[in-house]
Amino acid sequence: MERADLHGLAEAGACAVGAAAIEFHNVDLSYSGKPILAGLSLAVGKGEIVCVIGPSGCGKTTALRVAGGLIKPDSGSVKVGGKPVTGPRRDVAIVFQDYGKALLPWRTAAGNVSLALEAAGTPARQRKERIHALLEKVGLHGHADKYPTEMSGGMQQRLQIARCLAQEPSVLLMDEPFGALDAMTRQTLQDEMLSIAAETGATVFFVTHDLEEAIYLGDRVIGLLPNPGRIGTIAKVTLPRPRNQLETREMAEFLRLRRALFDFIGKAEG
Amino acid sequence: MNGRRVLWLAGSFLVAAGFVWIWQWIADHRLISPVFLPGPDRAWAALVKGMTDGDLTEKLFATIRRMIYGWLLASLVGIALGAAIGTSKALREYLAPMFEFLRPLPASAIIPVAIALLGLSDPMALAVIAFGSLWPVLLATIHGFSAVEPRLYEVGRALRLSRPAVIFKIALPSASPDILAGMRLGLTVALILSVVCEMLAGRDGLGNWILLSARSFRAPDLYAGVILLGVLGYVSSMAIAAVEHRLLIWRGRAR
Repeated sequence: MERADLHGLAEAGACAVGAAAIEFHNVDLSYSGKPILAGLSLAVGKGEIVCVIGPSGCGKTTALRVAGGLIKPDSGSVKVGGKPVTGPRRDVAIVFQDYGKALLPWRTAAGNVSLALEAAGTPARQRKERIHALLEKVGLHGHADKYPTEMSGGMQQRLQIARCLAQEPSVLLMDEPFGALDAMTRQTLQDEMLSIAAETGATVFFVTHDLEEAIYLGDRVIGLLPNPGRIGTIAKVTLPRPRNQLETREMAEFLRLRRALFDFIGKAEG
Repeated sequence: MNGRRVLWLAGSFLVAAGFVWIWQWIADHRLISPVFLPGPDRAWAALVKGMTDGDLTEKLFATIRRMIYGWLLASLVGIALGAAIGTSKALREYLAPMFEFLRPLPASAIIPVAIALLGLSDPMALAVIAFGSLWPVLLATIHGFSAVEPRLYEVGRALRLSRPAVIFKIALPSASPDILAGMRLGLTVALILSVVCEMLAGRDGLGNWILLSARSFRAPDLYAGVILLGVLGYVSSMAIAAVEHRLLIWRGRAR
């Protein structure tokens, strides 16, 4: 119910005031003369899950990095939680696609989660308990002493998510987080991500190249057009929650959205 | 697998024992004059005598001290300098050609220069040892720091780690395998240069002991010194391998 209200707000787009979790306002960004993003304006409501799709070169990862404060736009502004983004923030967590590179191989699972707590200045005495709870939350209890190299891809990505949750973020930026996983693991992690988002009330900005994943997860799916990156379509997903890997994917609405977005991508690439 | 390891160990031990036996046999049959080649029995006796008398023990520790100090100095400078150069592309570009020129320079070639500047002194020996064993550490550290996964720096930024935290929690551990490999090479160089410096500059230690023994035809003493040097090299490389194993346990744990 609450989510539906937020849609209205978010759909008002750039003019949404205050309540938006992430706001892009006329963001331009070019890289060595080549425009990557042109006039990107988008508002993501609090607690909303927005999935961003588009052909390669459409700037979807760049948009995520701008929201995360890793890159500065040439012009325009980005606000998270109503405050302008000037750099990375602790209340904004980024889940990278290449979990193998984003984890510290010399630290155990517990040590990797600890890194975020150390960064936040959590006293050493409280860390252990928090780490335990976080690993439990992502289904890694009993693996605290394993090194990343001893874990499967799915476990490594769970670990990265646990480290991000240690930041207690209000916004989760996820850059094709499940793209490198096998289909079964991907579906499990999609559901876990949804339940974590529901539990924490975090806003999720989810970049993916998988249309079905975008529809399955999102409250809205944003389709970007390439050269330069700009919004081509916004599809509102009214599928009921909690979603189910079999039932949701068989619904007429799911199939309708899938067809529409496939057409969009086909045209965008053509 | 463990059984095979034991077999290999037993095999290598047999080879070593065979070598000693051949040495004894050559000495017993006087194939080489005993003035130049005493048997292992006499070398061992000289070793035990030297160690119990205290003289040889003293020399051994003088050499160890020299080696360790020079090596530690080289490691400290090498890691600090290597970290600075490895994290800066500009510094790397400027300094790389000079390093390529200095690196292959045999450290013993600078001994005359060092003697001219510092005299026949312990600081001279320390400088030469540190200079020689600096290169492996420095170059390995530069490589280690320049090869840190960029994504990890980004993780550091995303978590808002402070600069010291990024260095000590991300860059240094990431470079540690390279640094330790460089330090292991550096230790070998330090031992060699300790002996060379002792011989050339007459500083107290095993190198000087060996040289003096040879000059006064005390062959068993000479061999006792050589054996000790061998043991020292072996023990120090074993020690650093053990440290490496302990620190880099995460590398051996691949699935």
